Amino acid sequence: MTAQRVAVLRDLLEFVGIEGERLNLVWVSSAEGPRFANEMTEFTEKIRSLGPLNWNYQWAVPDSELRAANPSK
Amino acid sequence: MYHAIKERVTELLSTGEVKGFLALKKDNGHIKPHLYVSPDEIDQLSIGDGETAGDARYPLTKILTMLLQNHSGEPFGILARGCDQRALRALAAWNQISLEQVVVIGVACSEELARACNCGLPYPDEWLEGEQIEPKDPRPVEWEAKSPLQRLDLWRAEFEKCIKCYGCRNICPMCFCKECSLESEDVVTKGEIPPDLPMFHLVRALHMIGRCVDCGLCEEACPASIPLRALYKKVNDIVETRFQFRAGIEQTEQSPLHKIAEPPAAI
Repeated sequence: MTAQRVAVLRDLLEFVGIEGERLNLVWVSSAEGPRFANEMTEFTEKIRSLGPLNWNYQWAVPDSELRAANPSK
Repeated sequence: MYHAIKERVTELLSTGEVKGFLALKKDNGHIKPHLYVSPDEIDQLSIGDGETAGDARYPLTKILTMLLQNHSGEPFGILARGCDQRALRALAAWNQISLEQVVVIGVACSEELARACNCGLPYPDEWLEGEQIEPKDPRPVEWEAKSPLQRLDLWRAEFEKCIKCYGCRNICPMCFCKECSLESEDVVTKGEIPPDLPMFHLVRALHMIGRCVDCGLCEEACPASIPLRALYKKVNDIVETRFQFRAGIEQTEQSPLHKIAEPPAAI
């Protein structure tokens, strides 16, 4: 079920414009320490290579700046 | 107007075949949900035509769910459009209601309403009023035509309008959970507007897997006019493409994602 849900979520992320690669699902047992470390390192590297989300920053103006620009409001 | 429906409801109520009939009522110029218990008020019955055809819609199926839970075993009737019929089936598949005691009186939507709703199935199984209108494409094609970057920008702008009123959840006939993830502080930070982007909306979208019947009430209810329907249409599209399932089409089927018997397919 989880595998299928994650597949659906990945498609959904693509739909809202977020790269599907940013979502990863692996099963690691508590006895597989090195594998866990490996998976984590690989995934971190992948995210790093994708870089930050390509938000359009014009939507991300902090409230304080907005208020400064429109003191009447 | 709607003579056939009024006659049938009068018959149901006077013979005692149903205890009450859930429909809409035009009262002092306003349309509101109403439970008809005697044939006296039947003249005020409305199928939701305010200024234009079908512009007054209510989650009648959600009200019916509450009714049946408090009066189990008693027969009720309900006025249902295509979307209501799908909701009834999906609710039955999720064991929220039993359809044995429910008498469904169908209304097929007008061309105007089907177009306004962009409805994928604008008629129930059987109907007393209206005619069969050609279904529209149930996929959010206008969104899919955009590039991923455009979609990211547009969705962010849309999600940022959210005032976290929970209107989409409260009006949804398929939102019947007693505990809601959207109220969990692990997922949604308390006291912050807009809610965590895009978590809030994607959590809800993910929970619509195999449930959303595409009635469009969420989008109608949204005070910030977020195009929620496009999001849930996409969820339905993904589920249909991957699992050949559409909620509310089969009477007893839950989505393949909610069945435990099948072993999971590889990703």
